[in-house]
Amino acid sequence: MPRSLCSLSMADFSPPQKVRDEIAALLPPLLPRLRRFGRTLARNREDADDLVQVAVERALRRTEQWQPGTRLDSWMFRIMQNAWIDETRARERRGQTFVAEEEGEHVGVSTTDAQIDAIAVRRAVAQLGDDQRAVVGLVLVEGLPYKDAAEVLGVPIGTLTSRLARAREALQALLAGAEGTRA
Amino acid sequence: MSWSDDTLMAFVDGELDDRERARLTLALSADMALRRRVSAMKQQRRRVAAAYAPVLDEPIPDRLASLLQPPAVPVAVGPVVDLDEVRAAQARRQRPVSSWWQWGGMAAALVVGVLVGTQLDWRGRGAGPDLQDGRDGRLMAGGVVGQALSSQLASEPVPGAPVAVQLSFVDKGGSYCRTFSTKAVAGLACRQGGQWAVQALATVEAGPEGAVRQAATALPPAVLEAVDKRIAGDALDPGRERQAREQGWGR
Repeated sequence: MPRSLCSLSMADFSPPQKVRDEIAALLPPLLPRLRRFGRTLARNREDADDLVQVAVERALRRTEQWQPGTRLDSWMFRIMQNAWIDETRARERRGQTFVAEEEGEHVGVSTTDAQIDAIAVRRAVAQLGDDQRAVVGLVLVEGLPYKDAAEVLGVPIGTLTSRLARAREALQALLAGAEGTRA
Repeated sequence: MSWSDDTLMAFVDGELDDRERARLTLALSADMALRRRVSAMKQQRRRVAAAYAPVLDEPIPDRLASLLQPPAVPVAVGPVVDLDEVRAAQARRQRPVSSWWQWGGMAAALVVGVLVGTQLDWRGRGAGPDLQDGRDGRLMAGGVVGQALSSQLASEPVPGAPVAVQLSFVDKGGSYCRTFSTKAVAGLACRQGGQWAVQALATVEAGPEGAVRQAATALPPAVLEAVDKRIAGDALDPGRERQAREQGWGR
């Protein structure tokens, strides 16, 4: 005789299913931020969205690795960062180069000063190395505390702050140079 | 005293403890050069954040949004689904047993005009031309549901289609049966006399944005029970399901 619905015990309420449901419910509101973090890592929209897609798929497959009650955004950022490292290595093996978005084409007469500045800043960020782009994305853009950002990257806080300081200096130099040529 | 860039950076990033922050705040009030250094760092932080802020307002691409449409659970969709698993998932959700044959709940589905039967005495109520009569008082799936049951494969879900078909199997009487769902109802229909006779029907909640639920786990308990009662052996695998369709679901 088939097991009836009434005979299901509490044992059938399996935690993995609950966690998976929780993650699936929490992720949609996070998508805009994941896409934004992707944009700092990946330099162009297509690659950034690919990265988000891979990360969401991995997250749904590995729900058991998330600790309910901890920051889901941090966990997702970590998955994205790792996926990006994988992608970088794969492209290096294939001898493929990364293409930064050519934003100049989007500048029109109605472009505001703020938009022009945003383009300059994104170009400067795109010229940083992978490690520096990741700290810029996590701390300056996503606003994570040092401790959380260090956990995402799996590095000590000292490493994080020194990367951040170097990234800031490099950005300052790049943007000063850009302003110099514009003037 | 001199303040290091690292300390100023931590200040700007909100990482200094209360005591250090108070000391630096005091120093800033008396030191213009220090204020300039801090304000340059603050400005840089604001600029970088502002440069990426517009991404938040971009529409989410469909390919990302669709990953999280219910069920986000990657359950097997289609004929290979494990019914025990489906039932367990169903029970875990603790959805109350659906309003079996309750016409109140049915109203929404009937307005859509996807399912009709003579039992409902719908004639004269402005039924659409794609609605069809059942025989012997039985409820028959017609219109888009009937078409979906005859043409859609459970092994090849059609995203965005008005009807989803989840499971196909042979019942104990040797007829083909299939489960289906629309935005408003889910049910089980079996092939009888060249038509799809509805064996079980229950109301369902639509997914977010009114999406039709594709997975068998989303089927109401009443429908799963009906499957359980009728199924002979296992659900059809994709090959057998395709073959059944090619034979017009006749046996």
